Amino acid sequence: MTEYFGTTVADIFATMPKRFKPEEAKEVDIAIGYEATGEGGGKWKATIKHGTLKVETVDGDLTGCKTTIHTDAETFVGVTLGKIGALDALSSQKLRVAGDPKFLMLLLPKIFTPYAAPEKKPVAVTARDIITTIAERFRPEKAEGVAMTIGYDLTGEGGGRWTIVIRDGKCAVRGGLADPLTVKMTMEAKTYTGMMVGTIEAVTAFTSGMVKIEGDMAAAGATAKFFRKYVVPGATEAEELISLRVTNAIEQRFATGPVMGRWFAGLREKKFLANRCPKCGRTQIPPREICAWCRVRVHEFVEVGPKGVVTHFDIVYFASPDPLTGAVRDTPYATAYVVFDGSTEREAVTMDLKKEDIPRLKEGARVRPVWAEVTTGSYRDLIGVALDEQEESL
Amino acid sequence: MKMHAKNRNVAIIGIGQTSFSSHKEDQNQVEMVQEAVINALADAGLKIGDIDCIVHGNMELFEMQFAPDLWHSLGTGAYGKDEYRITTGGTTGATLVCAADNLVASGLYGTVLAIGMEKLQEGNTTGGITNMADPLWFRNLQTGALTGTTAQEMIDEFGEERAKRAAMRYRIMMDKHAMLNPRAHRRFGLEYSQMEDLMANSPPLVGELRLIHMCSQSDGACAMIFTSEEKVKQGTKNPPVWIRDHIQVHREETIPNLFGFNKPEMTHHCAARTLFARNGIQDPVAYFDVFEMYDPSAWWAVDWLREFFLLTGDEHLRMLEAGDFDLDGTIPINPSGGVIASNPIGATAMLRPAEAALQIRGDAGGHQIKKEVRHALASGFGGTFWTVLMILEKELNWQEVNHD
Amino acid sequence: MATKRVAICAVAQHKNDSDLWHKRFQGMLLDVLEELQAQTGFTFDEETGVNTIVSCSDDFFDARTISDNGVADVLGAQYRGEEKMAQEGLNAVGYAQAVILSGYADLVLVMGHCKESQSESRRIIANMGFDPFYGRAVGLDNLNAAALQARAYMKKAGLTEEHLAGIVVRARQFAARNPYANAREIVEAGKVIASPQLCDPIRQLHAYPVSDGAVGMLLASEERAAEFTDRPVWIAGFANCMDSYFLGDRDLTANFALKQAAGRAYRKAGIADPRKEIDLVEVMDAYAYQQPLWIEGLGLCGDGEGARFLDQGGQEKYRVNLSGGMLAGNPVIIAGLYRAAEAALQLKGEAGERQVPDLHRAVAHSTTGAAGQFHSVLILER
Repeated sequence: MTEYFGTTVADIFATMPKRFKPEEAKEVDIAIGYEATGEGGGKWKATIKHGTLKVETVDGDLTGCKTTIHTDAETFVGVTLGKIGALDALSSQKLRVAGDPKFLMLLLPKIFTPYAAPEKKPVAVTARDIITTIAERFRPEKAEGVAMTIGYDLTGEGGGRWTIVIRDGKCAVRGGLADPLTVKMTMEAKTYTGMMVGTIEAVTAFTSGMVKIEGDMAAAGATAKFFRKYVVPGATEAEELISLRVTNAIEQRFATGPVMGRWFAGLREKKFLANRCPKCGRTQIPPREICAWCRVRVHEFVEVGPKGVVTHFDIVYFASPDPLTGAVRDTPYATAYVVFDGSTEREAVTMDLKKEDIPRLKEGARVRPVWAEVTTGSYRDLIGVALDEQEESL
Repeated sequence: MKMHAKNRNVAIIGIGQTSFSSHKEDQNQVEMVQEAVINALADAGLKIGDIDCIVHGNMELFEMQFAPDLWHSLGTGAYGKDEYRITTGGTTGATLVCAADNLVASGLYGTVLAIGMEKLQEGNTTGGITNMADPLWFRNLQTGALTGTTAQEMIDEFGEERAKRAAMRYRIMMDKHAMLNPRAHRRFGLEYSQMEDLMANSPPLVGELRLIHMCSQSDGACAMIFTSEEKVKQGTKNPPVWIRDHIQVHREETIPNLFGFNKPEMTHHCAARTLFARNGIQDPVAYFDVFEMYDPSAWWAVDWLREFFLLTGDEHLRMLEAGDFDLDGTIPINPSGGVIASNPIGATAMLRPAEAALQIRGDAGGHQIKKEVRHALASGFGGTFWTVLMILEKELNWQEVNHD
Repeated sequence: MATKRVAICAVAQHKNDSDLWHKRFQGMLLDVLEELQAQTGFTFDEETGVNTIVSCSDDFFDARTISDNGVADVLGAQYRGEEKMAQEGLNAVGYAQAVILSGYADLVLVMGHCKESQSESRRIIANMGFDPFYGRAVGLDNLNAAALQARAYMKKAGLTEEHLAGIVVRARQFAARNPYANAREIVEAGKVIASPQLCDPIRQLHAYPVSDGAVGMLLASEERAAEFTDRPVWIAGFANCMDSYFLGDRDLTANFALKQAAGRAYRKAGIADPRKEIDLVEVMDAYAYQQPLWIEGLGLCGDGEGARFLDQGGQEKYRVNLSGGMLAGNPVIIAGLYRAAEAALQLKGEAGERQVPDLHRAVAHSTTGAAGQFHSVLILER
């Protein structure tokens, strides 16, 4: 089976039943089709109904699927593993979704535990394997003017004795322990391989007595820098990165000041209180301390609305998740730019439009406010606007 | 507006960028900043000791690091030096260039290094953007940072087919430029033959603003080095790129009143007409050889070409359709691939003059414009439709326009 | 023809308060703007008025991304240029000077604001200024970093509890004469010495109270200053300096960054011997021990001589912190602006009950970062 990023498309589907979380899928009733083209690809259908999952390969056409994902095998594995960004794949059309992609992006992480590529078996490495690579890992530029003999006495299984000779910018490995030695290090062979492969911390090994040093201590410490790091053949890149996840929240107490305070007081009365610039007459909604254009303080409040006209609107298909809770608004929703009756012509304000009215929303439509049952003088008092549809008088 | 002569002329003599990607996990913030600074110093053939002053900027709520320049000093090299931190949202990078220009032109500093950075992956970008809105009112309405109003206006003005094709053509053109820029974050390899498909199938975000039209979110940093005419005369490694003039135009936080009846002048238009008038530039399309424009989305980009070049009607669409904005066109736009390709917010607006300067130097590499580039325009965008605009010149020979 | 000198034409201060709950930033700044305009008559006219604003505020303290965005209108920034000097108010003055000297503008409005009371803890904010892996995790903030510095400095200079109490008592006496100060109650030395430890050796009464405030200034080129004031205060020099970030890399009592900044500022001002040429000093003393420490950094006494400076009447000789200093309460990011405001008012002869005579040159100081990682020094003259 063709491998991408260390695993196969088939493995992702084979592990689906194991990764399924039935308790999260009780309300779910959906069939999702997958088409991964190219080598190692294929077609699959995942049927989720009331807490059960059925995954099957499909030979012909994918039918009966509410949503289908079309991509190539490599992108499928890459996106699943997080090596390729899902949004980037969607943007470049390498990943296409027939149906609502956002819905899938929310549903799938909820009902499946994330897929992780199978762990590679560690390659068995002996001390001899490592030592035979010493000469080729030598860095002559780091050993200028250095002349030393380093003896390794490795005990236990896979052990042996070797001497490393560094002189005149060259490095050679000989069997046995030479005499004299600049420094001799004695340890178990498995300690040596552990340190070289990275599973044992060198400092720990030295300080805990796992390594005995005779001779020039400083030379023992210096040896590491004369050689490039040993890399286990066939090993994937070691993941050294550490991630710290912290949510920072600092509680705030925001002041309204008298101007916004008046706005909220107006909402409590189910009124829109804009304020009017004494110089240019513009009405600002919500009201502000100053008119930005005229740079004079605004004192006069004026009630506008309650109805108004829509100048523009946005139909929002993609809602940003709430930063703290991750919750996402139902989409599509509409944001209407409304110039309230009595406002100066430029001063639109954005309002949510009642969901049911979206299909009939047009520029120029008249709207009326929708108030909460109980108004307390907060932004929650105004639920939004709704189309103010009246019979046309003849 | 009356323009005073600059006290001293200022040149860009070094530019350093990191790569831009969505996951720069192998570096912390300091290391990333240092990479850009070291690159800039190497580019200028200078050492950190040659720098008198550092100017730093980013949007700290994206990394949730308070006063980040204090920690980043380990990477900026500000130890023992004068330092300022100036932040203006999305325009920060361009404002930093203006600030460096001001600081050198003042005579108070000889050589100034400016560094803009962002590591969006380290924070919650949505949280950062949501916090832009007034906490009493708009932040609670979840109006979001995205709007399709400009797309709708263009559709109303030019017809659906033509408007959508224009936005998509621009988008694909930006990707083609990005494909020539190895440092760009997103490079999809789009072809014009995909236009219809993308127009129909790219997932819509808001109205006709689709996923494919939107800028990226990137990690990265950019550093630039500025010095005085006097020092340039003593010899520099690269040919200097002169900052002729700059302007910043901000406006109030209220955005919806840009979409009522009878829209006011956009800050882009105000910046352009003011800057060009006081420099005696009557035909910006003819005058400039390149424009690195801050383009957060393909729709805004097309619309703003009309604003920046002071065009009317459908002149900008005709130019786009005729290929005038292509790499080999009359006035190439964003040979770097623009913000749509790479967007490390604190650095993004600095990348525009940086890329423009590289074009003037002839150093842009794969995305270098073939014709000689002598006059460049660069813009920054951010906040609630703020604009920064500047003119860069190859030679120190522009005429002072005397309004007195 | 670009100018050679920049003046502070006028300053306006919002009274510092522990909790300005009844105003939001926009209201505070508008009060300051109106005060400045009343004093000078400046406008925002495209030809003759202010076209460049340098603001100062902070995203964390305001809990607002692009903190200058919310106040753009009251800054007068509508279709004008505005640059935000992040979190360091005295830098705004130094930078504004550069803008005018560059030739790009001949008038600059400087406006800074901050409410320390808005967030649940200014210490959490300061903690987030440390690197996320170590400094933050260990729980460092401005207060405990200062405590480390205080302990080291008290030992070096022989600064005692009595010295610290004396600094606080005196600060309150001057604050009582400053209508803009926050903590204006007279306090006795005994009470200071007995006040509970906040973070040993910094006691509660050694520390500046949580404060809200705003400051504005109008700066002009030499050629235009006379349009706005009869008594311009000239900026003779400004410089700042960054120290290293890790506390362990620094000698916390050596004043490396402050000495560099002061040295550069004095050079620019043509001051050879600050001890002879400085008449008045405003240092940013968030905690009592910082007053003599920063005085050393400014070169007004020798290293380790801070206690001696106090004993020998140095505070009177150099008119130190006649405003009450930061000890009387300013929000941290614009405390430097309040220092500059007092220095300017004194030179103008507009310092009311606090006014002292025979002033020619004053120094205003500001600092930010843990234990003074960064310092700014402004030299003003009449």
